[in-house]
Amino acid sequence: MSAIGRLSLVMGDTDVAFPPSQVEDLQLSPSSSSASAVSCPSSPSSSSTSSSCSDHQHLQCTSPSSSDSSSTRGCSPPLDVISEGYGELDFVIDPEMAQKACQEVLQKLQRQQGDSEPIGDNTDHRLDNGAIPPELPEGGNCKPPKISEEDEDEEDVGEDPPCGTVRSVQRKQKNDSSKQSWLLRLFESKLFDVSMAISYLYNSKEPGVQAYIGNRLFSFRHEGVDFYLPQLLNMYVHMDEEVGDAIKPYIVHRCRQSVGFSLQCVWLLGAYSSDMHISAQRHSRGARLRKVILSDELKPSGSHTRREAHPSSEACLSPSKRTHQRSKSDAMLSVSLSSGLKRTASNPKVESSQDEDPNSSCESTDTETPARLTPQREFIKSLMGIGKRLATLPTKEQKTQRLISELSLLNHKLPARVWLPTATFEHHVVRVPHTQAVVLNSKDKAPYLIYVEVLECESLETSPVPARIPETRIRSTRSAENLPDCGITAAEPRVASFTTVPNYDNDDEAWSVDDIGDLQVEFPEVHTSSCDNISQFSVDSITSQESKEPIFIAAGDIRRRLSEQLAHTPTSFRRDPEDPSAVALKEPWQEKVRRIREASPYGHLPNWRLLSVIVKCGDDLRQELLAFQVLSQLQSIWIQERVPLWIKPYKILVISSDSGMIEPVVNAVSLHQVKKQSQLSLLDYFLQEHGGYTTEAFLTAQRNFVQSCAGYCLICYLLQVKDRHNGNILLDSEGHIIHIDFGFILSSSPRNLGFETSAFKLTSEFVDVMGGLDGDMFNYYKMLMLQGLIAARKHMEKVIQIVEIMQQGSHLPCFHGSSTIRTLKERFHMNLTEEQLQVLVEQMVDGSMRSLTTKLYDGFQYLTNGIM
Amino acid sequence: MAQVDKKAGLLRKSSASRKPLKEKVVLMYDEIFGLEDPAKNNPRFWEELFLMKVNLEYLEGKLESLDGDEVMKIKDNINSLFHNCIQALAEEHQIKVVNALQTLCALLRGVHQRNKSTSGFDIINMLMGFDKAELRMKALMESLDAQLCGDRSHSLKSLCFKLLLCLVTVTDNISQNTILEYVMINSIFEAILQILSHTPSRIQHGYDAVVLLVLLVNYRKYESVNPYIVKLSIVDDETTLNGMGLVISQALSEYNRQYKDKEEEAQGGFFSAFTNMVGSMFIADAEEKITVHTNEAILLALYEAVHLNRNFITVLAQSHPEIDIVSTPSVAAPTMPIAPLGTTPPSLDMLASPELPLDPNLQTSNLLITFLKYSSIVMQDTKDEHRLSSAKLCLIILTCIAEDQYANSFLHDDNMSFRVNLHRMPMRHRKKLADKSLPSRPLVCAVLDLMVEFIVSHMMKDFPMDLYVRCVQVIHKLICYQKKCRIRLHYTWRELWTALINLLKFLLSHETTLLAKYNIFNLALLVVNLFNMFITYGDTFLPTPSSYDELYYEIVRMHQVFDNLYCMVLRVSTNTGQWKEPASKVTHALGNIRAIINHFNPKIESFAAVNHISQLSEDQVLEVVRSNYDTLTLKLQDGLDQYERYSEQPKEVAFFKELVRSISLNVRKNVSLTTLSQDVLLKEFSTIS
Repeated sequence: MSAIGRLSLVMGDTDVAFPPSQVEDLQLSPSSSSASAVSCPSSPSSSSTSSSCSDHQHLQCTSPSSSDSSSTRGCSPPLDVISEGYGELDFVIDPEMAQKACQEVLQKLQRQQGDSEPIGDNTDHRLDNGAIPPELPEGGNCKPPKISEEDEDEEDVGEDPPCGTVRSVQRKQKNDSSKQSWLLRLFESKLFDVSMAISYLYNSKEPGVQAYIGNRLFSFRHEGVDFYLPQLLNMYVHMDEEVGDAIKPYIVHRCRQSVGFSLQCVWLLGAYSSDMHISAQRHSRGARLRKVILSDELKPSGSHTRREAHPSSEACLSPSKRTHQRSKSDAMLSVSLSSGLKRTASNPKVESSQDEDPNSSCESTDTETPARLTPQREFIKSLMGIGKRLATLPTKEQKTQRLISELSLLNHKLPARVWLPTATFEHHVVRVPHTQAVVLNSKDKAPYLIYVEVLECESLETSPVPARIPETRIRSTRSAENLPDCGITAAEPRVASFTTVPNYDNDDEAWSVDDIGDLQVEFPEVHTSSCDNISQFSVDSITSQESKEPIFIAAGDIRRRLSEQLAHTPTSFRRDPEDPSAVALKEPWQEKVRRIREASPYGHLPNWRLLSVIVKCGDDLRQELLAFQVLSQLQSIWIQERVPLWIKPYKILVISSDSGMIEPVVNAVSLHQVKKQSQLSLLDYFLQEHGGYTTEAFLTAQRNFVQSCAGYCLICYLLQVKDRHNGNILLDSEGHIIHIDFGFILSSSPRNLGFETSAFKLTSEFVDVMGGLDGDMFNYYKMLMLQGLIAARKHMEKVIQIVEIMQQGSHLPCFHGSSTIRTLKERFHMNLTEEQLQVLVEQMVDGSMRSLTTKLYDGFQYLTNGIM
Repeated sequence: MAQVDKKAGLLRKSSASRKPLKEKVVLMYDEIFGLEDPAKNNPRFWEELFLMKVNLEYLEGKLESLDGDEVMKIKDNINSLFHNCIQALAEEHQIKVVNALQTLCALLRGVHQRNKSTSGFDIINMLMGFDKAELRMKALMESLDAQLCGDRSHSLKSLCFKLLLCLVTVTDNISQNTILEYVMINSIFEAILQILSHTPSRIQHGYDAVVLLVLLVNYRKYESVNPYIVKLSIVDDETTLNGMGLVISQALSEYNRQYKDKEEEAQGGFFSAFTNMVGSMFIADAEEKITVHTNEAILLALYEAVHLNRNFITVLAQSHPEIDIVSTPSVAAPTMPIAPLGTTPPSLDMLASPELPLDPNLQTSNLLITFLKYSSIVMQDTKDEHRLSSAKLCLIILTCIAEDQYANSFLHDDNMSFRVNLHRMPMRHRKKLADKSLPSRPLVCAVLDLMVEFIVSHMMKDFPMDLYVRCVQVIHKLICYQKKCRIRLHYTWRELWTALINLLKFLLSHETTLLAKYNIFNLALLVVNLFNMFITYGDTFLPTPSSYDELYYEIVRMHQVFDNLYCMVLRVSTNTGQWKEPASKVTHALGNIRAIINHFNPKIESFAAVNHISQLSEDQVLEVVRSNYDTLTLKLQDGLDQYERYSEQPKEVAFFKELVRSISLNVRKNVSLTTLSQDVLLKEFSTIS
């Protein structure tokens, strides 16, 4: 990580020396840095790489500028990004050196305004850059093909060079050096973070500043920039060319590094371009970048070397020696079969789009194939296709059955080099436990929730795709197994795969069961779920056949155990064909993971994980994404300011302007489901779930409820979240409430005759859970809101900025009208004193509680949609 | 050449009643049946022969009419005919290939009809000669394999299958068909798999492929190493297995559909009004009409797949849309004579596309559901031999399924719930359940329903003891799984208890007649032990505490039956005789049930006495039961949750041998009809050339 940061920082700064228009030509440099950078993160102890980096560093520092080396050792504080990255590496290079380089470049930028000799300088830099690869043995191999790609890029984006230079001259004239000097100090300062960079990128009209920030992006941590990816891409699509030019190198660089990032960009670019007129010239700009990424020209330059560097990773992944291409029957089948037995034959059809090869199937294990994006895109497409088809079915029951059967077909294509973009770790999807999938409640669309079994891996791009394990975990092939000389050469691999999987070891009996004779009784199957809990029941342990003494048990005990066990099982919801998701969501996550793991053929692998995702088809999730960003920003603000407000931003993946995926909130059911299933008031439900008023469990749950309620009340107020019926408010097992569905925020609200006029939804039921109007908890609630508002106000810019940038070129309903940003700003009440704010909070709470419209709206929802 | 064919055809048609004029091909056949080498005078004889349209009737008839000595005389000519047929298979000219295939079919069938009694060795000698047999058969199998795997027309492939089916069914007892040794050596298994894995070819030939496979698997199954068994058992390619599952599923649901149609026909209109009026008098008649021939070959294929291949279990649960809808007949259908129902490949175009069709009215179904429905129909009537063996096979398959861990896991999966409309025998004392009222439940409920249905509907004089034992064993295996995995199935167990108690009652009342034929104690023991499972392990799998109370209620209510059973087994076990041992086992097994009866009966009586009630209501009895558990002690019995695993050998060998024999006969009968009709289809080739 640090190595990348450092390297690209140096590279990036080098680029600043050029007039912005030439940045296009110089894409070569960030990308060439990627040749070396790519190899760094994967090698844990890349001492050779880092030493070569340091060599390079020296070159950088000494050759272009004649500054004495003693000054580089000066005590000026390192850039925060760099110091962050340095934590884990030994100090081969001084952070100051890098900072120095940065400084020089900036100075040069200023100098540049006057004289026009940078061209010569540039070539020097280029040479420096060019000098890197030979020092990195792996990097050299990959260089030539990449250059050719770059050429194409240039053709794609850059206009003809003469024109570019003219423009650059004009820009130079506009630049004002005095302004830049204080800017420079800011940019160098510790405080300069991604948020500020984005803000300057958005606000500054100075090409130099834009270009600087564009390069500076390379120095930020990936996660930091990733958060603002929607903003960056929206700017790229909708703003001036200069901004786009500044952003592009970074995007291209990151796309080279990661397939996941590439796809994110593809999807976001597609989604944010969708609001434009086709005729718009800028439209083609986003679309063009999208096409470049899709065409897969942005291959990782270091992939070869990376793969070679990690031959060991294979061992930990596949339980068997079998390759994915596979197995026995194929091996046995003669040549004539090779074409016929492709597993794709029964794959659900996915519409193939024109920009990709329809022949390449999901399971291509070969990373060398040009379509490194294809498997994942196909995977997502099949998921969307399922959603589309489900929407046509009339009843929930049919939808559920259909979903299960569609997913079981999808399973045939797995494992494959596909992943869930909402996850935080690298993995391959190996199986979709299709029977666990549920259709969610929605009137006309068919969003559905699936659980996905994945195997964590080092890198989704280079780690080998796990081998398929058949559903039934082949244990015995019965009578055939003992037949002598049956001439199956392929029997050995099966046995091999069998023994390498630890779970199977106990199944030896099963292999021969049929052949031993008639009176074989079934051996307790060791790998089933029951074995571990068997011992806790006396009955089972007694059953052993050795005991000859008659054993007596009381009938009363059996009856008692039965009722006890039923009482002990956590309150689960009844199965309701009209609301299939209620049961699935109510089941505690850990319980579900355990259950699915036991039933899965991959469950025994140590890197097995369970993920879940909601697939939404026909819904625009861009607003949800915006809400996620705002929520995350506020969450980090509150954490920073130590305000114990609790909110749960859930991840959103925008795939197009009408489809996407949502990371489900685990262990949470909607208030509607709670009320419908339990037929209790919210307070009584709390008492039932957590225990009496004075129990610790209840008090904890109550505190959680208050903290989350305060958090979401603020969110609802600031973002003007509407459509707050009980189906859109979740309650998790710890007592937190979580608002979902941000379809109506800011300037948009459902056309519902002016319901929901209050600042947020606060029903008397909520107040009851908080212990009533006079309770301490209720006061705590109001105090939390006040603290939260003050904290949010302090960092208002960070919040506004997210929304403001996304407004560019957007036709989303939440930006309807011209006053969206102004009213948003007003809701932060910058002009009020803290006392006045306190009064405001009191007013809002009072108003919301007394609000008739909230009740009316709930009633309206109950009548129209059956939501309680 | 086409002209000649046409002319011959015309001539034959016009003079159908008279002795047919001799076509050229017939003259050539005569030459072959002569003593001379036909190629001696005409070196292009064989070449010409395969350009000529085959006259199957003549060729077969001629072979049939020869007796042993005559055949030996012309053996050389027949050998060279066979040899040349095989050579012609490699020809570019499709017409030659077609004619060669048909000639081979005729040869095989003709030879078969001639020597019904003799073994395969004679046939080999006659057709190929012992010395060359291995070489010839290798060539034949190789070219058939090439035809099947290659990019040939469907009718050609279909003919290849016909030929293979002819080959396999040359003898009644497949294991005596020595020619198959060569088919074992030169495997066409891979070709069959390829046909099954590839959707269009599966639709055309899936049925034949599956039947062929199942016959080959049964060749000398118990005596030697059959490579087809070995290979089938390790197939793990989902596409192929799925393809096989679809073929089976389609054949079974075609049967279900036909049955349903007939049933509706029988019940519709006037007839239903009539039966309603007169009552159930005529139901038996209606029954007769509804019988549709069962398809044992497909059922056996399902069995072999489930039994041999563990991966196939997943296919059972593979969803696909229900195929109850009448599909339009396939291309070949219009010209085909209507073959016996259930034995012809059903028209298979529903699942042509890998994409599931998007009809909201279609219920999703799967192979298991189709199979359960099929079983429910077959089990309704076990009077005739075929249906009895079909029902038996169904129960064997269910036994295999109930033993399988994975199958159990999806049977009990709450999320995989379906509405399964089982066919129930119309009976006087109960109404037909409305289809719609069925809730969607886990599949195991349907299996249990089917078993309960079987138990209540077969208590007759001609008692199917074997089927009853299997049926109770299936229930036992399912409950063992539930106990082991602590699955609390929401099932109305009471229906099962009632059915089982009634079964015991039936056994008691027909003790003397049944005991003459069967060991009724074995069945009684199984039933009593099922109750013991519920009594001692009920806490692990019953859905609610009150269901445990209900169990006691039911036992106490029907205590008379258990008392009588106890008396009977006590009596038999105290006498010496062959039933002493089994009867005493039942006596021991009854211990807990008797303890329950002896414990609660006095309590209930005293409760009635104290409260001055003559007839206690169910709630009152349940109350007594609930309040008196604690003073009751039960004995834990050993091995209640253990069972004997199913094994084909040696118990079922005879059954399967007989079954395969009847399938062989059926297939042969069928091939003869369809091969001829294929003739018409093959006109396409005469125009190609």
